Amino acid sequence: MTDSSNIQAVLFDIQAFSVHDGPGCRTTVFFSGCPLRCRWCSNPENFTVHPHLMFAQRVCKWTSGCRACTQRCPRNGLAFTEKGPEVQWEICRKCHTFECSSACASSALKVCGKYYSVDELMSVLKRDFNNWGSEGGVTFSGGDPLLHAEFLKAVLVECKKLQIHTAVETSACVPESTLLDIMPLVDFAFVDVKNMDDEKHKAGTSVSNRLILSNISALKASDWQGRLVLRYPVISGYNDSEANAIRLIDFMKENGLFEVNILKFHRLGQTKWEQLGHTYDYAASGDVDDETLQRLQSVYLDHDILCYIGDKTPF
Amino acid sequence: MTNEEKLNELLKQRGINPEQLTAITMEDILAQAEGCTHLMDIYYTLKNTVDMEYPYWYNRVWQENDGDITIVRRAKAMAAALSHMTVTIQPYEKLVMNKTRNVRGAFPFPWVTASFFNAQAEALMSEADAPALSEADAVSIVGEGGGNVTKSYGNIISLAKKFGIRKEEIPVLVEVSKSWNGNSVEELSNKYARYTPGYQLEQNIMESVLCMFDSYCIPQGREVMNYYLPLQYGWDGIIDLCDQRIEETMGESDGDGILGMGRGYYYVAMKIIAQGMSKWCQNYADRAHYLASIETDAVFKKNYEEIEAVMAHIAHKAPQTFRQALQLTLACHYGVVNEDPQSGQSIGRIGQVLQPFYEKDIREGITTEEEVIELLEFYRIKITCIECFASAGVTGGVLSGNTFNNLSLGGLNRDGLSAVTPLEYHIIEAGMRCRTTQPTLSILYDEKTPESFLMKAASCTKLGMGYPAWMNNQTGMNFMMMNYGPEGMNLQDARAWCLGGCLESSPCCFLPLEYDGKITWIPGGAGPTAGSGVHFVGLPKVLELVLTNGYDHRMKRQILPAHNRKLDSLEAVQEEWVNYLKQIIDVVNKVNNLQMDIWRKHCMPIVNSLLKPDCFTKGRDLGMMGGRYNATINFESCGTITFVNALSSLYKNVYKDKKYTLEQMLEAMLHNFGFKTSYETGVFSPDFREATDEASKYAQIFADCLNAPKFGNADWEADQFLKWYEDTMFGLTRSFQSYYGKPLYMCQISVSTHGPQGFVTLADAAGRLAGTTYSDGSVSAAAGTDKNGIYAIFESATVYDHGTQQNAQMNLKLHPSAVNGVQGTRKLLDIVRAYMRKGGFHVQFNIVDSKTLRDAQAKPENYRDLMVRVAGFTQYWCEIGKPIQDEVIYRTEYENA
Repeated sequence: MTDSSNIQAVLFDIQAFSVHDGPGCRTTVFFSGCPLRCRWCSNPENFTVHPHLMFAQRVCKWTSGCRACTQRCPRNGLAFTEKGPEVQWEICRKCHTFECSSACASSALKVCGKYYSVDELMSVLKRDFNNWGSEGGVTFSGGDPLLHAEFLKAVLVECKKLQIHTAVETSACVPESTLLDIMPLVDFAFVDVKNMDDEKHKAGTSVSNRLILSNISALKASDWQGRLVLRYPVISGYNDSEANAIRLIDFMKENGLFEVNILKFHRLGQTKWEQLGHTYDYAASGDVDDETLQRLQSVYLDHDILCYIGDKTPF
Repeated sequence: MTNEEKLNELLKQRGINPEQLTAITMEDILAQAEGCTHLMDIYYTLKNTVDMEYPYWYNRVWQENDGDITIVRRAKAMAAALSHMTVTIQPYEKLVMNKTRNVRGAFPFPWVTASFFNAQAEALMSEADAPALSEADAVSIVGEGGGNVTKSYGNIISLAKKFGIRKEEIPVLVEVSKSWNGNSVEELSNKYARYTPGYQLEQNIMESVLCMFDSYCIPQGREVMNYYLPLQYGWDGIIDLCDQRIEETMGESDGDGILGMGRGYYYVAMKIIAQGMSKWCQNYADRAHYLASIETDAVFKKNYEEIEAVMAHIAHKAPQTFRQALQLTLACHYGVVNEDPQSGQSIGRIGQVLQPFYEKDIREGITTEEEVIELLEFYRIKITCIECFASAGVTGGVLSGNTFNNLSLGGLNRDGLSAVTPLEYHIIEAGMRCRTTQPTLSILYDEKTPESFLMKAASCTKLGMGYPAWMNNQTGMNFMMMNYGPEGMNLQDARAWCLGGCLESSPCCFLPLEYDGKITWIPGGAGPTAGSGVHFVGLPKVLELVLTNGYDHRMKRQILPAHNRKLDSLEAVQEEWVNYLKQIIDVVNKVNNLQMDIWRKHCMPIVNSLLKPDCFTKGRDLGMMGGRYNATINFESCGTITFVNALSSLYKNVYKDKKYTLEQMLEAMLHNFGFKTSYETGVFSPDFREATDEASKYAQIFADCLNAPKFGNADWEADQFLKWYEDTMFGLTRSFQSYYGKPLYMCQISVSTHGPQGFVTLADAAGRLAGTTYSDGSVSAAAGTDKNGIYAIFESATVYDHGTQQNAQMNLKLHPSAVNGVQGTRKLLDIVRAYMRKGGFHVQFNIVDSKTLRDAQAKPENYRDLMVRVAGFTQYWCEIGKPIQDEVIYRTEYENA
């Protein structure tokens, strides 16, 4: 048994009864930190690896005179004008004590991300193990769980001792050796391929897709026995073309892959960008209609690739 | 080929089971029967209506028989009332009968309570302003939409903020009520209640709404019907049996010097009521005959002729078809709900009771499965139309206008095997096609229940009507053995249990129905009501009074005797809370015992005393413990988790961390943490806050109260208080006795009382503001405080054995996206199973988007048919009061973005 007692990772959520992240009912563990910076990301709070502040102005009770946060903040990070509260992000992004959040009764100021040890996470998973049913298990998502390889591996080893079904959602944008080291402990994986065109991939996610694609090939070439489903959010004007689908089909066939899950672009993460003091690029663009998704699905199906739309999956 | 076909083809090639991709979607469910659509249109259009036919005849015949033996006199009055009511049959109906001549009809029972009408006689006669209300009524808010008549208009006078009565009936109402002036159950019990020690304390308790319900308001219900006798013998057969028994028992004490002689009168009364029921059924046959004779449309004519044949048959003989049997059970149901103000008179496991009839008809080609489903759809509408007339506090505040006629499915049969029948699949199917609030469906989940049945039930739950709810069969059986074992309940009878009322585990038994050449052991109720006792004690309010030394700051009065104890530890708070609760139960129990004792002496159940075993065998009515099991009377709690969270915060902030003194905490609570109260704002949702100038003064303590450990997060620091509470209450409730001489136990359903009782409660240590609704259910997390997801709630909820009490209530709200798609049904079932495996007694779901609910609150006219799960029942959104609407919206919604 490796000594994993000192390893910690920052998790920004542990979601019970997670039903769209792998087979059956699951618990999904969200790791902070991601190698990609997708401009449409629905979990932008994972960009920062450390615990950090989020501010939801919508639920702030400043109009009813509450100023509890300013009274507690030792750094003058919060100010109120006639327009309402203002977070001084240049100060608050550096904060690691978060006095304001414990003073906030409305949960408008929240700390995002918490350090977990392997034992702490395992005690949650062991508890939830009672609830998943025969199909379910745990999914490690994020962010990208593979950024925390040492911690992740320690947790996976413990899961396998208990015969827990494991899944990951990863960008696969990590060193090949890391991927191949982790994956033998994983039963099911989602890997995102946001765009087959490298330039476009860079433009959308800030990184090249070359490492991602070569990692997928390497994984398939290894003796890994798990199930791999490719995934991507379909974004209008970015990756909703038939040409992109054809290129992905070619890649999948070369690598013996046959399942892809396309997701309809949504804006559920928009307010989170605002709560972090960022601007959201996709506030008014990116929408795709159902016909586009079905057209893409039929392209895949015509090439004998199983293509699932959204949560209409056989798992 | 469509994409779906292609995908299925490819899945097959890959060896992945394509069946997993087919799930029931809304489009796949067949539309309700055409006739049901017409009848539901009528239902939606019509208002709750009170008329005086039944009370008039009851009163007239009662007075005519002055001096007769009470049970006989009452049977005569009731039989006369049933058989004199105007009979109405709606076009398209296949199942007939109603409580009254009106579709959504009800009537007052002045013999139970008349003071309201007598006090208001003049006001009513002059159609003056709305009558004054009792405290509980004044704080209860009835939904304003749908069929409720909350205000008088035109020729209609509003009663109890819910019913309309036509002006011309008012003189009858006033006249009939007058005859009961001073001798209704209410007034007689008030008279004797004054002799109880602590009567003034009891009055204080009721006035402060610390406890909010008088037993006489709903003296029956929350029990399970038993249809055995009429199904086996028919009314004529029962009349013959009565004659036999009269001959055997009249004038014979048979060794029982107290009750032996009563048997003769009992059988006389039973004969009279059987004749009355028979006549009532015959009246429908006659009416149908007349309608057929004047009908020109061939389809309608045939319909009336069929009704005539069914009603003429069941007016006398035991049923010979499924339709006759179903119609007969309905007649019994209406007969029982017409004898007292009732709620929770439950249908029980009717899919097992009627299976022999169904099986024979299908085998012999007398009917088809589709015809059976159609009848079951009509049945839903019939049950939905059952209204209950009580005061506003009871109808709106307690019941949200629902009468909880629960239908249970599944469980085990007498032999300990799965009891699921083919007919029960159709009952669920009918509930999927014809979406009405009643009967609500309850699945008795057992590890032996077939997966296909559970999947069928989960497909129905998924549709978002709030039914079926899921109950743990083994936990229910454990409670049966624990509570009724001392009365001799054995394992076989324990297996017969089901829900009587929204969530009340009720004692039942199996009886041998001889039909179709074989004996089928059919389950049915075997005990009296669980609907009375010490009902709805606001646990958080008791805690508030502990902290205020018994002084109610809302009413500005000393309510409970000062304890004068220095609360220097949490244990001291807990001890004083227990002491207060004991005092409350003691005085309230005595008064309610009196109410129910006077009820059973003057207004004993008649139809129900015929049906419920072992009354007929013993020759004794239900009030005199004719039932097989009688330890049904209970203590009912409200606001469990609000209370647990308040204790948890007191412990954390005052006693453990010592961040605040108790005085500081109390001051903050009395100042509502610097916010306006919901009395001032008119908003009862726990998440609404409007600050006063003092807000900043209490900002920190408020945040600390909100941030203290809360139940529902698998956090022992908070959950330990639930465990302590449940363990304490187990013994505490059982130290008091009902009028049956049996120990009380705890029923933990708030129904809708978490609205009004929250209304009277000040801010608490957990940061809940004054007047806002308590947490719903008994083990649901307080809205917005469960941060760790459903599995953590399950963990918290099962820190004690649910089999020790009658029930434990868990409400969950799921976003529809969490269970849609191909695997959603299975995943919903997974979550039910997860909770059941932990021994959770009950879980029910609202599968609805909060956005939809907000829109429905703003534009009720667009959502006439929207249904939500409130506590143990489903109700039309527009017919529930705003505090409960707010609470349902604010419940944490589980979704998967």
